[in-house]
Amino acid sequence: MATDEELIAAVASGDGRRLEELCRRWERPLYQLIARHTGGRDVEDLYQETWLRVVRAARRFDPRRRFSTWLFQIAVNLCRDWHRRPPPEPVDPADAEARAGAPAPTDTLLDARRLLAALPEAQRNAVILRYYHDLPEEEVAAILGCPRGTVKSRLHHAMRRLLEMARP
Amino acid sequence: MTDCNDTLTTLLFRGALDPDVAAHLAACPRCRAESAAVEGLARTLAAAPVPAPPPALATRVLRAAEPLLARNARRAAWPTFARALAAALLPLPAILLLDFYLVRFAFGLLTAILPTALGAYLAFNYAATLALLLALTYAAIPIFVEHQVRLRRQESHA
Repeated sequence: MATDEELIAAVASGDGRRLEELCRRWERPLYQLIARHTGGRDVEDLYQETWLRVVRAARRFDPRRRFSTWLFQIAVNLCRDWHRRPPPEPVDPADAEARAGAPAPTDTLLDARRLLAALPEAQRNAVILRYYHDLPEEEVAAILGCPRGTVKSRLHHAMRRLLEMARP
Repeated sequence: MTDCNDTLTTLLFRGALDPDVAAHLAACPRCRAESAAVEGLARTLAAAPVPAPPPALATRVLRAAEPLLARNARRAAWPTFARALAAALLPLPAILLLDFYLVRFAFGLLTAILPTALGAYLAFNYAATLALLLALTYAAIPIFVEHQVRLRRQESHA
């Protein structure tokens, strides 16, 4: 089986089938990473934009790096930009009514989402990558572009804040 | 040596306890008191399901990426094209020199046996034919290169 680094080299020369293979390989982790970052909003658009950036920059990929680190780095940067965007225009009242009729999310989902959403962005990034994707601190540091000590400190502060919020 | 911060962070983010952390928890009443809250928090975070990716996501990405992939393919073919062009241009001076002598020889021969105007007309046609053949040969280079790149890609897939 070809490695991710071999596949991205083929994508750099315009190979669509290799891109499809790469997409399928990383579909679930990438989709879930974005969904957790945005609380489930605009996930498909951000997912697609991540892959478009991958294809666009494939020729600049450094094969000494891990592909997953690079991929997650692109996705995290996109999510960061997404959070900085101004909020969307007020929704159409008809849409709001339709949404009100939809089943309410479960309490646990809401709780975890609420907790994550309340964290500062830097801490949320560290928690998602470390907790949900089980990445080692070194890789989280590489993705976030900061020293390992900073990741440790963000995780610690995130835990303190989450404990405060989760306290009944 | 594991401190209180490390112990509780490890408990939350790694779940399983390593011997250092277990030893610290056994010895530190403060961390032991907090461990239940940390484990509760871990359960809350773990309980959050995330939606599964929709089925046609890869197809959608591929469709959107088609123009970028085509651009990548064009860029990847450039070095091959440059090499082929350089190889083809190398004998060009010799070919032009040979053509020049051939046309001059033909002109001399034709004007010796035919009226000058007719000889010059036939020699001009001969020169034009040679120039056309040369142009067609060089124009085919990009087509050959593209074919070669496609074949190489198919071989790498196989």
